[in-house]
Amino acid sequence: MWLPVLGLIVGILLGLLTDIRIPEEYSNYLSIAVLAALDTLFGGIRAHLQNIYDEKVFVSGFFFNIILAASLAFLGVHLGVDLYLAAVFAFGVRLFQNIAVIRRILLTKWSTNKEKIEKN
Amino acid sequence: MDKLKKNFSFVAISVVIGFMIAIQFQTIKKPVERDTRDLWQLREAILQEKELQSELLTEIRSIEEKLLAYESKQKQSKEQALRDTIQELENEAGMTKVTAPGILLTIEPIIEEIQIGAEISKSVSPELLKRLLNELNMYDAKYVAVDGQRIINTTVIRDINNETKIDGHALSSLPVEIRVGVDNVETAEKLYNQMKVSKATEEFFIENLKLTISEPSPGVTIPAYDNPIRIRYLESMKANEGGNT
Repeated sequence: MWLPVLGLIVGILLGLLTDIRIPEEYSNYLSIAVLAALDTLFGGIRAHLQNIYDEKVFVSGFFFNIILAASLAFLGVHLGVDLYLAAVFAFGVRLFQNIAVIRRILLTKWSTNKEKIEKN
Repeated sequence: MDKLKKNFSFVAISVVIGFMIAIQFQTIKKPVERDTRDLWQLREAILQEKELQSELLTEIRSIEEKLLAYESKQKQSKEQALRDTIQELENEAGMTKVTAPGILLTIEPIIEEIQIGAEISKSVSPELLKRLLNELNMYDAKYVAVDGQRIINTTVIRDINNETKIDGHALSSLPVEIRVGVDNVETAEKLYNQMKVSKATEEFFIENLKLTISEPSPGVTIPAYDNPIRIRYLESMKANEGGNT
């Protein structure tokens, strides 16, 4: 369970140490890609906790969501419509839902554990 | 084994996400520099910038003055004036290719005649052509080319061995195209209307030829006169002759 967090920290450290910067114009794309990746990650954690985790779905979803979000943002820029807001909205909503589900599952687990301990 | 694999993909993807977040953070983040200068330091900075500004302005002004001086020199120079004159004269004499509004005239044999099988006229007689050109000139035609041959002031149209020749070039067989250029679109319109009602069409018809007049078009290209212009009675002035200027 703690492995993703550890990986996240390692990734952030790596990124900060390498000191890579992308042009300002592309930060939009990267931010939406980050959002998509986070959505996939939380979806994966939820699926893991619900025991319906499928690695293929997880990995393909990760890449596919990132590409879709970035291309949506690209299209939006070229059409002159802030289309990336659609992606932000969709991913944001899903992020909240996933986190809520994770929280509930963890709460149930925690309370059942507590009951077990009390019974003992 | 399966668990290990599962964990591996989780970790790999979270590392990638962390990496992306870090890059995004670095890109967005701008170092916040606080301005701690006091009033007098700020005044000094403004003074410096103003000096720079005035320096740049003087530089711009001097360069612009130079440019203007060069431009006026170029305009006033005799060379430019002569060049302009030459260009003008060449244009007037028909030594340049011209694209102007105008009309297209086509001379064709009459189709009905062909069907009958009677002898058809193979060329346009010089008299007819001259008459047509005179008429065109009367209606303000400025640039004329017959069958790709530019007509200029000294152009001769004559019959040599039963062949109509314009400045020594034989007219190709029918149909022959005449391009007429004028100064502006209104004149082209006028020319078109006048040609429509002129007698030229009937005169051509008598010689079993059909003269078709096209609608005025905004851009008719008239080729340049390609022979050297012979000047017989004109001589260039010697340097020490004539006026002093």
